[in-house]
Amino acid sequence: MTVLISGIRRRHAEARIAQRPGLLVYGLLTAILVASLFPFYWSFLIGSGNGGTLSDTNMSWWPGGNFLHNAASVINNESVNFWKALTNSIIVSTVVSASVVFFSTLAGFAFAKGRFSGQKGLLLFVIGTMCVPTQLSVVPLFIAMSAFGWTGTLGAVIVPGLVTAFGVFWMTQYIAQALPDELVEAGRIDGASMFRTFWHIALPAARPAAAMLGLFTFIMTWTNFFWPFIVLNQSNPTLPVSLATLQANYFVDYSIVLAGVLLATVPLLILFAFAGKQLVEGIMHGAVKG
Amino acid sequence: MNRFRRPGSILGGAIAATLLIAGCATGTTSNTDNTPITLTLATFNKFGYSDVMLAQYHTLHPNVTVVQNIAATSQAAQDNMFAKLAAGSGLGDVEAVEVDWMPKLKQYPNLFVDLNTADTKTRWLDWKSAAATVNGKLIGAGTDIGPEAICYRSDPLVKAGLAGDPAGVAKLLTGDWNNYYNVGQQFAAKKTGTAWFDSAGATFQGLANQYSNFFEQNDGTVIATTNPDVKAAFTSVLTASSTNSAHLQEWSTDWNAGLANGAWATMLCPSWMLGVISGNGPKVTDWKIANVFPNGGGNWGGSYLTVPTQGKHTAAAKELALWLTAPAQQIAAFTTTGNYPSQVAAYTDPALTGAMNPYFNNAPIGQIFSDRAKAVKVTPYKGVKYAAIMQAVQDGLTRVESKKQTIDASWTQVVSDIKALG
Amino acid sequence: MTTSTFVVPEPTRSRLAFRESLGRWDVRFSPYLFVSPFFILFALVGLFPLLYTGWVAIHQWDLLGGQGNWVGFDNFAFVLQQRQFWVAVRNTLSIFLVSAVPQLIFAIVIAAVLDNNLRNKTFWRMSVLVPFVVMPVAVALIFGSMFGERYGLVNRTLAHVGIAPILWHTDPFASHVAIATMVNFRWTGYNALILLAGMQAIPRDLYESAAIDGAGRINRFFRITIPQLRPTLIFVIITATIGGLQIFDEPRLYDQNGLGGENQQWMTMTIYLYKLGWTQLNFGRAASVAWLLFVVIVAIGLVNLAITRRIASNEGPAS
Repeated sequence: MTVLISGIRRRHAEARIAQRPGLLVYGLLTAILVASLFPFYWSFLIGSGNGGTLSDTNMSWWPGGNFLHNAASVINNESVNFWKALTNSIIVSTVVSASVVFFSTLAGFAFAKGRFSGQKGLLLFVIGTMCVPTQLSVVPLFIAMSAFGWTGTLGAVIVPGLVTAFGVFWMTQYIAQALPDELVEAGRIDGASMFRTFWHIALPAARPAAAMLGLFTFIMTWTNFFWPFIVLNQSNPTLPVSLATLQANYFVDYSIVLAGVLLATVPLLILFAFAGKQLVEGIMHGAVKG
Repeated sequence: MNRFRRPGSILGGAIAATLLIAGCATGTTSNTDNTPITLTLATFNKFGYSDVMLAQYHTLHPNVTVVQNIAATSQAAQDNMFAKLAAGSGLGDVEAVEVDWMPKLKQYPNLFVDLNTADTKTRWLDWKSAAATVNGKLIGAGTDIGPEAICYRSDPLVKAGLAGDPAGVAKLLTGDWNNYYNVGQQFAAKKTGTAWFDSAGATFQGLANQYSNFFEQNDGTVIATTNPDVKAAFTSVLTASSTNSAHLQEWSTDWNAGLANGAWATMLCPSWMLGVISGNGPKVTDWKIANVFPNGGGNWGGSYLTVPTQGKHTAAAKELALWLTAPAQQIAAFTTTGNYPSQVAAYTDPALTGAMNPYFNNAPIGQIFSDRAKAVKVTPYKGVKYAAIMQAVQDGLTRVESKKQTIDASWTQVVSDIKALG
Repeated sequence: MTTSTFVVPEPTRSRLAFRESLGRWDVRFSPYLFVSPFFILFALVGLFPLLYTGWVAIHQWDLLGGQGNWVGFDNFAFVLQQRQFWVAVRNTLSIFLVSAVPQLIFAIVIAAVLDNNLRNKTFWRMSVLVPFVVMPVAVALIFGSMFGERYGLVNRTLAHVGIAPILWHTDPFASHVAIATMVNFRWTGYNALILLAGMQAIPRDLYESAAIDGAGRINRFFRITIPQLRPTLIFVIITATIGGLQIFDEPRLYDQNGLGGENQQWMTMTIYLYKLGWTQLNFGRAASVAWLLFVVIVAIGLVNLAITRRIASNEGPAS
């Protein structure tokens, strides 16, 4: 779609596309940032107070001095099992997101670039599986997990999450759009097998979307509560499950609960710091071609 | 196909029965072999079973290690328990159960071990163990109870020209519910800026717990829609609440804030409510407790320890459950978390009788709640549908309090919702 | 959407015949191999529960007591005659629309803003994902407290400005707005990044040509960005539809009872399902609601798909 035009007009156009946005844009972004951070600040406010702070209508907007004390209460609480929960959460989230990325990209490649009978039907079926409400699947899934003897182990939390319909759908749609057929054909002509084509051509091309899928899956697995609560127990918890112990009272000291929640969120923020660069570079890399 | 009728359970039941008989005979240990085992104790909220206590049990039974799992809320524990009962596995060896869900579990006594032994017949208050007994089988060992008194704030009462000291308030409120409402009317007329009680819903609970067959007959037949007492209670509470109520639904965030801001002057106070009041309103200084309750006494809440038959060490678990619910341990729990014991022997223990609560202006809580516990004359029959019916009625009360419906319209909807449960 | 083909090279020599047939086998069967991990896992965690739920729905089934008598479609018939069921349908659709429509618009706007040549791109792009990291329990606490009718921050602020307090829990529509706010807070940034990825894949020279022809920013957005974004838009709308009709955590945590309000103001179909199954222990009826919800989701998903295809294709030349 390139058009031969005079160099000057082209450069002007490039300049207009690439021009730095003005104050309005940064203003909007700052507003979004403040709105996004508000719950954190609010959690920190409560977390640095005491039991009555949440209900106090005259709560000060400056933090109290209690945060470290409350955080220490969380970590030292024997029922909470904080370090074990942290380790378990890291293991579960890492394994699940790596697995989801791999298997979803594999399936996405097949759906996007393959040609096999039943393809469209199977893809629709994948999407259809997302329509099944999860509330009732708790009981049959638990039955299945106890049949395998996995209840109480991390396997019961990891295995059901190893590949998701969302992931397959997302990678299918991205690969269809971002991976040119010519590249795939070139690989085939060179005699590569499907798997080698996948590994050397499709996976690199899908990197930006794969990175994003990995990040989303990691976060969702990290914050997932209901299923781990049913299938794990206090001696082998993930973070949300162990945090729930802090709410074990008729009267709940929310300053400790929120201090615990903030502690549990810190690893995710660290992940952000590292993953952020990867994602942005990946997205930019994808944009340069074409 | 009833999936609970597994062949293995018959054999397991026979073994358990043998061990139980052996246990009753010796009266002390029943573990005939000393292989080390780990027992899981599943509780919720705060039962007061500290790690020190569990370590003490380990000293008494060196081959038994107890691990406690604490669920966040009673609701979460209930969801978890029902899911695992349905699935047939996954429950702890000892499972804590709240009295509200006990009726549902009593439908399936075969899922639980009989906890009767020689000394359990007299351990608990009659009405406490009766609520966990099915055809002579005791499926739950009582832990705590919630005898109700009236907590009040003296400043608004004094401001309205009423008595402010515990004895005076007790005299004022001795009587029935109409007396409680009338005093509230007098109070409201003085316009102190504070309401008399927190909500119709919370007050209704106190009323409902004083009838032996409020919503259901003893055979489970639902009479809520035809029992004139129910409609009368519904109407009278709502009529009173139009002037007396702060209209703040219990446990909502507004209610918590209401406690912090002193939005009402009196409330029904089971023993476990003390921690809630003091926790939510650390800056409020005038809460006191009056040794009185409309119509004498009432009980709200309380829990049990059960031993599900799906467990692998039911004999040892039964021993643990009975030890934890012995008077000595329950008094220790009271000292830790304020859970009021349901064991008769505890009521003469000085640790209980001398207990005081500084937040409530040094109210003698041991004495007060012991008197209130003895004043409980009636415990309501609660069948399988009780909780769902109560929820429907509570919704009806809230609809009127939030001015969405008139009393009659709301009652009509309550009736149709109750009928839909069938 | 482009069609895809694998070109199997014509054998020029017979000694390549073996490799060729291996290649053909590879081409024909590898796709099945590649998609099988998903389907195997789905058989366990998706299909089995789905069939189990269907089996439960046609029986009288108490959660603890187990399977009862076969009742055919009685459970479905009963549920469809309940006032509460239709209130739940109304609530589900209302909350879905109130959350999905603004969320999508915001997400597109945010993605467009992030698509610019910003300084500190990483920082801004990550910042929109920050809400996604906040744990549901914290979100529920914060918003539940903010939207309290008597003492909540929102009503107190409105009172300062002279506006009467809004009944965030008592009034159904207000409760839908509050819940939609919670949902949007969590998911807008997420969808914005997905749309951003789609936008970044649009070739820059399309914009350049349009700029040369004199199209301004807004024009370029509607004439190029939106149509090019069609596959991503379809994806986002479908996943948002499926997710939005099933939201459970936010309505459940919105008040202390978790049952959708005293007059079912915000009781969604998933909450109604939970109520039937867990508080009334009527597993059979709960399963029938689950299946009805499934039908609703598929129906609305298809409707949304049709709408999106039409909108995105009318905006400009397809590539």
